[in-house]
Amino acid sequence: MSLLHFFADPQWIIPNIIAPFVFTIVALVLFGNVSTSVALYAVLGGGMMGMWGNTLYGSGFALAFDRWNGTIEYVLATPSRLVWIIAGRSASNAVLGLVNALAIVLVVVIGYGTLFVVANPVLFILALIVTLVSLSALGVIFCSAFLLSRSAQVMTNGLEMPIYVATGSMFPIALLPFWSHPISLSLGPTWGIDAMRYASDAAYSGLGFGYWTDLLVVAASTAIYMAIGFWLFVVVEKKVRRDASLTEY
Amino acid sequence: MTDGQEKAIIVSDLRRVYHTSKGILRKTRQAVEAVKGISFDVEFGELFGLVGPNGAGKTTTIKMLTTLLTPTSGAAKVLGFDIVEDVVEIRRRIGIIFGGERGLYYRVSGRENLRYFADLYGVPLSKREKRIAQLLDMVGLSDRADSKVEEYSRGMKQRLHIAKGLINDPQLVFMDEPTIGLDPQAARDTRAMIKQLVEKGKTILLTTHYMFEADELCRRIGVISNGEIVALDTPAGLKRFVKDITVIEVEAFGIVDADILNLRRRSEVKSVSANLEGERQTMRIQTPKGSEFIPEVTKLLSAAKIFDIRTKEPTLEDAYLRLVS
Amino acid sequence: MALTLADWPPYRIFWSSAKFAFKALFSWLRPPMWLTQLLVLPLFQMAFFVYLSRFVNPSGAAVAFIAVGNALQVASFSSIFAVCNLTSEEKWQGTLTSLIVTPANRFPLFLGRAMFQILNSMATVIVGLFYASNVFGVDMSQTDFFALAVVILVTSAAMTGFGLMLGSVGLFLRTAMIIANIFLFIGLLICGVNFPVTDLPTWLQPFSYAIPMTYGTMAARAAVQGSSTIELGPIILQELGAGAASILVGYLLFLGFEALARRRGAFEEF
Repeated sequence: MSLLHFFADPQWIIPNIIAPFVFTIVALVLFGNVSTSVALYAVLGGGMMGMWGNTLYGSGFALAFDRWNGTIEYVLATPSRLVWIIAGRSASNAVLGLVNALAIVLVVVIGYGTLFVVANPVLFILALIVTLVSLSALGVIFCSAFLLSRSAQVMTNGLEMPIYVATGSMFPIALLPFWSHPISLSLGPTWGIDAMRYASDAAYSGLGFGYWTDLLVVAASTAIYMAIGFWLFVVVEKKVRRDASLTEY
Repeated sequence: MTDGQEKAIIVSDLRRVYHTSKGILRKTRQAVEAVKGISFDVEFGELFGLVGPNGAGKTTTIKMLTTLLTPTSGAAKVLGFDIVEDVVEIRRRIGIIFGGERGLYYRVSGRENLRYFADLYGVPLSKREKRIAQLLDMVGLSDRADSKVEEYSRGMKQRLHIAKGLINDPQLVFMDEPTIGLDPQAARDTRAMIKQLVEKGKTILLTTHYMFEADELCRRIGVISNGEIVALDTPAGLKRFVKDITVIEVEAFGIVDADILNLRRRSEVKSVSANLEGERQTMRIQTPKGSEFIPEVTKLLSAAKIFDIRTKEPTLEDAYLRLVS
Repeated sequence: MALTLADWPPYRIFWSSAKFAFKALFSWLRPPMWLTQLLVLPLFQMAFFVYLSRFVNPSGAAVAFIAVGNALQVASFSSIFAVCNLTSEEKWQGTLTSLIVTPANRFPLFLGRAMFQILNSMATVIVGLFYASNVFGVDMSQTDFFALAVVILVTSAAMTGFGLMLGSVGLFLRTAMIIANIFLFIGLLICGVNFPVTDLPTWLQPFSYAIPMTYGTMAARAAVQGSSTIELGPIILQELGAGAASILVGYLLFLGFEALARRRGAFEEF
């Protein structure tokens, strides 16, 4: 249902296609004539950004949309737990993100003429899916924050860039200041991107833990996110029913 | 006095066609004629009503006369000015009160809304605050003037709409369904205010689909149906449309759509309107036969439980139903 | 009776709209939110491109170029994004009709509404430059601060005019937000923010020079390195020219789109 809303309101999709796309092209220009393995960073990063944008925007905006329409009361009143509804939405947004990512990669490859060859497609897709799930789980957590706050939209604008930077979407996190590394490493997608790079380029060394360790960490982080998400939603649901603070916009 | 200024509004053969396109891949264009060449006049100091069912073209007509929409063909003069050529002149001199919740700035106070619109209309600064105070007083919002509009009730928002529509002290005021969605008390207060405005000499063009409201307020009524004016007269004049008939009013439970169809098939029945929702269904049957027809009605509705059945004098509503169906 | 400036209708409409926008905005925008946008966004956008550049060029040679460029570009969030959405915001709120039926000239009206965003833009750029120097190590020891201030002011004003021109679409179509997003980010690519305009394909370059920001980034870099206001005169004038051109085009587009909207009855579609 929310997918329908999404398509009915095309304006919400646009920032997530344009921003990653522009960032990717800028990166490619900056990279100039470097090897394709470095170009991989740009293209992969762009795709990742496209995915993240949709997950975050989707939840945030869908909620804002609901609040504006006053339909959030109905959503809350349904017997199925709010968690599953939002989880479902996050999942569908993640899929949208995937499509978005593919679109970006395709356009860049065609437009720029660089061929993006993946060393191990199976492992790559596995890493992709696992990262996608991790992103969705993160999206679920942010959703609950938006349920409580009036400023869902402003928040989403604020989170996009920090995530792009912290997860090392287009450059190794080793470049970031050392004190920020724990933050980066605590984010599932950071490991997921690393895994995808392992799968794409045989010569990649990245975080240094290897592909399977990366996947494990992503899976573990996903589990933690989901647990937090569940708990947060229970808290939110209770608070909302008590305070009736939702429809005040 | 130039030609066209003897009347407040002169509408000549106004037409408006909407083009809509459907489909995503292959667009099919459709032309919908919302207003099909209407003509009417409104005198100065008159309260003129435009009534009709939803989608009849009332709102389209008002949008054209208030410069929100250009006509496809035809012409109209508002206060002597052409609705296509002299847009700014018209906007300066008219007031517009649309019903509903939108059109006000929610995040600032009522007074600030009025102040802003006063500035946009160029109300002289020396008169601005006084006029705002007077209007707030007139609509009964003086004590809540400085609260944010988002805190207002539906009725209060409507009252602010009225104040806003009068901020430039317009000679002519357009009102589109001003009492829609209001509770009975608020609606009654609004109607009283409208009457006051006419007493002060203002000219008002009002649209509504409440016939009793039109009957109470308007000096003349234009009935619009399907984009055309099907009748234009005083309320008394319109009632003559139905002077030959009697209305049989039925209160029952268990009436179904098929019953309505069966009744309509009878030659003695001029029109049937019904409200089938809820436990107390009502039905109005227009027939020249009068009370002789009651046994027939009872027979046709034998499957239902009839609580009450009686004859009534036709009202403006009945005339309206006759005209639009 | 003496005639004051306030009696001149366009001025009154302009000033009233500016005050009104300010009041309306701060009735819901809580300081923490605004501060987040002001302080957080520029930092991370700059960080992204600076680190990217360090990855490509470990010597860090391009960092100053990119940092200053991005410090200017972040003004787009206010001057392009917020301003471009002014018209569609009105439509979405349901108040556009109320504005259209007034005799008030639309251009000063929306220009007044955009005024706050000029201030917002300037503040964002100043914050950006602060980060550039204190976080990313851009050397500001030679900077001509007066020249830099002039560049910031001119860029903010010119880009707001540009944003207003883009926003005129919102009177007629629903695509203002799409356009806002495109131009918000396109600056990163074509306004000499992350690399010189000359690095772009030749067919693209004329578009860069139509956008005031392109001149702004060039001038800002020069000012940071010590060029004076007089030396920057030509570039600043060119930027003013681009800004003025956008304002003129914007005025015509406002008239045009409103006429189109009247013909189609599009004021309430959103």
